Amino acid sequence: MATPSFAREFWSVATRTVGWAFHGKWRREEILQHLVHHGIGSIPIIGISTAFAGLVVTQEIAFHMDHALHTTTMIPGFTGQFIMRELGIAVPALLIVAKVGASMTAEIGGMKITEQVDALKLLGIDPVGYLVFPRWIAGIIATVSLTLIALAVTLSCAILMAVTKFNFSTLEYVNNLRHFVDLKDLACALVKAVAYGAVMPLIACTYGFRCQGGAQGVGSATTESVVSATIAVIVLDFVLTYLFTLVG
Amino acid sequence: MSTASEVAIRFDQVSKAFGPKQILEQVSFEIARGEIVFVLGKSGMGKSVTLKHIIGVMKPDAGRVFVEDKDLSALDARGLSGVRRRCGMVFQQPALLDSLTVMENVAFGLRSPEFRAARAADGRPELSEREIRDRVVEVLELVKLDASILGLTPPQISYGMQKRVSLARTLAPGPSHLLFDEPTTGLDPITTQAVNRLIRELSRKLKVTSVVVSHDMACALQIADRVLVLDQAKILAWGTIPEIRQSREPLIVDFLSEALESEAQLAREPVGGTAGPEVRA
Amino acid sequence: MKELGKLVLFYRDIFRTAIRSKQNHRQIFQQMVEVYSRSFSTVVFAGLFVGAILTLQFQMVLADYEALSMLGGITTSACVREVGPLIISFLLAGKIGAFTAAELGTMRVTEQMDAIECLGTDPLEYLVVPRFIAIVNASILLLVVGLLVSLGGSVLVATLTAGVNPLQYITSIPRFAGMDVFAAGMFKSAVYGTIVAGVACHQGFTASGGAKGVGNAVTWAAIYTNLYIVLANFVTSQFLEMIGHLFGGGH
Repeated sequence: MATPSFAREFWSVATRTVGWAFHGKWRREEILQHLVHHGIGSIPIIGISTAFAGLVVTQEIAFHMDHALHTTTMIPGFTGQFIMRELGIAVPALLIVAKVGASMTAEIGGMKITEQVDALKLLGIDPVGYLVFPRWIAGIIATVSLTLIALAVTLSCAILMAVTKFNFSTLEYVNNLRHFVDLKDLACALVKAVAYGAVMPLIACTYGFRCQGGAQGVGSATTESVVSATIAVIVLDFVLTYLFTLVG
Repeated sequence: MSTASEVAIRFDQVSKAFGPKQILEQVSFEIARGEIVFVLGKSGMGKSVTLKHIIGVMKPDAGRVFVEDKDLSALDARGLSGVRRRCGMVFQQPALLDSLTVMENVAFGLRSPEFRAARAADGRPELSEREIRDRVVEVLELVKLDASILGLTPPQISYGMQKRVSLARTLAPGPSHLLFDEPTTGLDPITTQAVNRLIRELSRKLKVTSVVVSHDMACALQIADRVLVLDQAKILAWGTIPEIRQSREPLIVDFLSEALESEAQLAREPVGGTAGPEVRA
Repeated sequence: MKELGKLVLFYRDIFRTAIRSKQNHRQIFQQMVEVYSRSFSTVVFAGLFVGAILTLQFQMVLADYEALSMLGGITTSACVREVGPLIISFLLAGKIGAFTAAELGTMRVTEQMDAIECLGTDPLEYLVVPRFIAIVNASILLLVVGLLVSLGGSVLVATLTAGVNPLQYITSIPRFAGMDVFAAGMFKSAVYGTIVAGVACHQGFTASGGAKGVGNAVTWAAIYTNLYIVLANFVTSQFLEMIGHLFGGGH
């Protein structure tokens, strides 16, 4: 999975992509196109899944609160914190990895095996700058926006559950929430989203470029891309969470 | 043209449409037992659809398809699988299972539940492992392959060999009619020649009917008994090679001149002794 | 929605075929070993981190209430009942689900499935059913491993960063996470494993259109698996709560 050759290629793709931001051309229409395709195209799936995640998390936390503290009054604070710091970010990130990451690998892998990538090189165009950079920028913007949407949806559904099942009033919930969640949490969430959004397209595209040998090659590259990006998100999550505990 | 018992495959006023697109429109023809028939046409003109009707994978919107006097539309699943066993399908790609050896691939049809059920229904005993192996070696010889590759897996042999193994696999259960889906598409001229020769030899030796879907008129001119040209959902031409050569239809004239060109080219090319050149894409 | 309908029909076909046909136990076992060995290290790795992340999160919250003594119990309960199965099965969606979709999809677009069918063998019976059974079994096993490892990860983090004595941590577990919690985790794992197996086989089995088609099948397998798992998470949680009320009359 994380073989040395992959690490080398990943590093080369990553540095060239970041370098392109300073020296290369920002093709706005291309970025916009990816943003529409990957970003807007993912809204329904993110919306639906995070809505359910919000419903479940309230229920689960209520179960634990009841069990541990014999009270459910602290549901808003506890749920809110859990959503803002972890669930509302990790669940959409993992879904984005599956949807956007996999389709980027499949796209670039398809180009690789039909020799389109080689054709670009022959024309003197850097495939990394040309193909990866727009996806990278679009990936970051899309992940951040989708994370914000996911946070909003998850929280609303958590409130919905709390209001209908545990007899909170919406106002009471929101007031309660404000004690526990502040802008710092939102900032942490955004930092995580940017990190995931930046790493995921790079992993996906590197696997796309490594693709060899027909249908089978595209299939296995896509598989490895999803797995590696999922692990990357989990590890990043841990590292960033740990850093935040040190800061906050 | 031929008596009923000699008809292998008959299309009677067959029509088929995908959505608004008419693929076949009232197409009727008969193929006699033991004949080599080429079905030619441009891409998307219903060639593969014709094949799929013969093995009953597709059903006509109107009209009937007969295989050896059996009306496919009147058959249940059991009857259909019986007909399918009479027809051997050779796919465009080798379509071998990579995880199995050549031996296991070729023996696949002999070990399939349907084949064994059919033998049991005929009151014949199950094939022993020894008999299966003998049969596999026998069909490999038919496609000019040596028993030494039995233990290898498909990725270990050349593409040309894979195509032969695939043909052997189709032959193993002993079909009466062979259906070829673009057997020479994507092959180099030398391998194409080898495949063509093989089709003709098998047809003569085993007395099987061969229906070959192709867009290669040159191959058709070499080995076909009769040629069926499909265009715009209809039969544009249907006849023996001399009859086709006399046609004045623009499409057929185009096809023919193309074929003559490639024939001339082939004559210029030095033919080496390589049996199965590597043409992996 | 239409996809979901097709998937339900596909499950029905699989179960019918599985019941009708004789199972080749050796083949299923081989498949299982393969799935298991391919995913084991990844699951262990991810499990470790999932446990660690959860501990960090709960540590932050519980520190506010000065209730760190409950860290072990709450983390374990949340991990086993909810987050562990969810995250690890997301990973399995990629590791096993996408792999199987790619494998079956390749067989479909290279006409291997058609060839098998023409030779009188049902590809569903020959290729799909053994994989399906193997994946369901292996995913449940892997989820159990993942959950156990995640406990290890959380003990580690609790000791290192929260200064909770490992013994204290472990003794607080049974207070919150009894057999019912583990049963709930197992039940969810079984449901998720079935989803991973079914969606992957379905996408691979119905792939079409060359290399691009295989890529699509893999992508959709990953997406749909994750989506259905989140939905199933909700449904199973509701169901488990209902059962809980039925037997325990609440806690």
